[in-house]
Amino acid sequence: MNEELDSQLSAMFDNELPAVECELLARRLSRDEELRGRWSRYAAIGATIRAEGGERLNAELARRVSVAISAEPVVVAEPVRPPSRRFASRLWAPVGGVAVAASVAAAAILWVRFESPPDQVLAQSVPGTASGSNVGQSADSAASYVVPKSIARRSIVPSTQLANYVVAHSEFSSPVNRRNLLSALMASESGTAGAPSGSEEPTEDVNDDAKSPQ
Amino acid sequence: MSADVSDLSLVRRVQSGDKGAFDALVRKYQHKLVKLVMRYVRNPAEAEDIAQEAFIKAYRALPQFRGDSAFYTWLYRIAINTAKNAVVSRDRSPIEYNIDRNDATEESYDMQGRMKDSETPEGLVLTDEIRRTVNAAIEALPEDLKTAIVLRELDGLSYEEIAAAMDCPVGTVRSRIFRAREAIDHRLREVFEGGLGRTEDLG
Repeated sequence: MNEELDSQLSAMFDNELPAVECELLARRLSRDEELRGRWSRYAAIGATIRAEGGERLNAELARRVSVAISAEPVVVAEPVRPPSRRFASRLWAPVGGVAVAASVAAAAILWVRFESPPDQVLAQSVPGTASGSNVGQSADSAASYVVPKSIARRSIVPSTQLANYVVAHSEFSSPVNRRNLLSALMASESGTAGAPSGSEEPTEDVNDDAKSPQ
Repeated sequence: MSADVSDLSLVRRVQSGDKGAFDALVRKYQHKLVKLVMRYVRNPAEAEDIAQEAFIKAYRALPQFRGDSAFYTWLYRIAINTAKNAVVSRDRSPIEYNIDRNDATEESYDMQGRMKDSETPEGLVLTDEIRRTVNAAIEALPEDLKTAIVLRELDGLSYEEIAAAMDCPVGTVRSRIFRAREAIDHRLREVFEGGLGRTEDLG
């Protein structure tokens, strides 16, 4: 037995060995009977100094426990989630929040784009044909229902700006504020891009715009 | 240095299925635990039985041990509860005064079986011998080694506290304690190997 190993064993017995060395020595201690014998004697020395041994310093307690434990099934603990992972999740939480905000904003943009083209396409490809809400309109008003490009742009551009704003500021804003902002975004979307399918207001806009060239 | 780092290393090994690591923990704390249980029961044999039960309970419960407290603190609580329960159940159990003559022989055999080594004359001699040897070895130690081991084992000071008390580096403390243990252990092994030849009984 080398002196360094014995010195480590003595320090480990006192809980004074660095954790990394403890890991290695614990592995060896559990397999090396001679080392465990020395470990036992260290315990007996301490017990004698503290007058702890009672009547039986040579007790066979460890052997009896060992025999009893050998009949027991092997215990295996469930893996414990390391604290660093929780720490990492805390670090990633704001990034996750930004990602959620970004995906909501992107969904809003896609929704706007999905909602607006049919009107454009319908209005451009079938001029004069009333679509959805425009059923029953006069031929004149239907003919004027040509959605100018500026209208379409106007319905998307504010959304993009708002979405960018949300994404840029979501990191610094509380979830409640973020939700309010997104609600405002959605409301503004329904007031502009979403309206052509079910509201009369765009018709007025369209009519106004359509009137101006005339 | 964490106060429980070496115990925790052994606990983690047990939790991964290594029974030998649990044996090391038992060897380290058996004397402390028996002394603790002796507060509740006078009979050393009974104290050992209770300590054994406490160790087995601890082994079974180890998968749930998360290391939030020191291992010994956790073990201490188990031992206290086991001892209290043992005392309660012993007090409840009826005492049988009438021992049949035929059973008496069997009973005496059983009692003999329950008598542990230290209750036999040989066991008592050995225990006495261990005490005298350790105490003599400590007395023979150079003063700095003796002070270091006593501050550690009797007063429970950490290496850092001993270093401050002895005005020396922590590395020197570690070396002094190790050399003190080696000197005592050398004498202790002589006792077992020479006299009674029962080195393994310390385990």
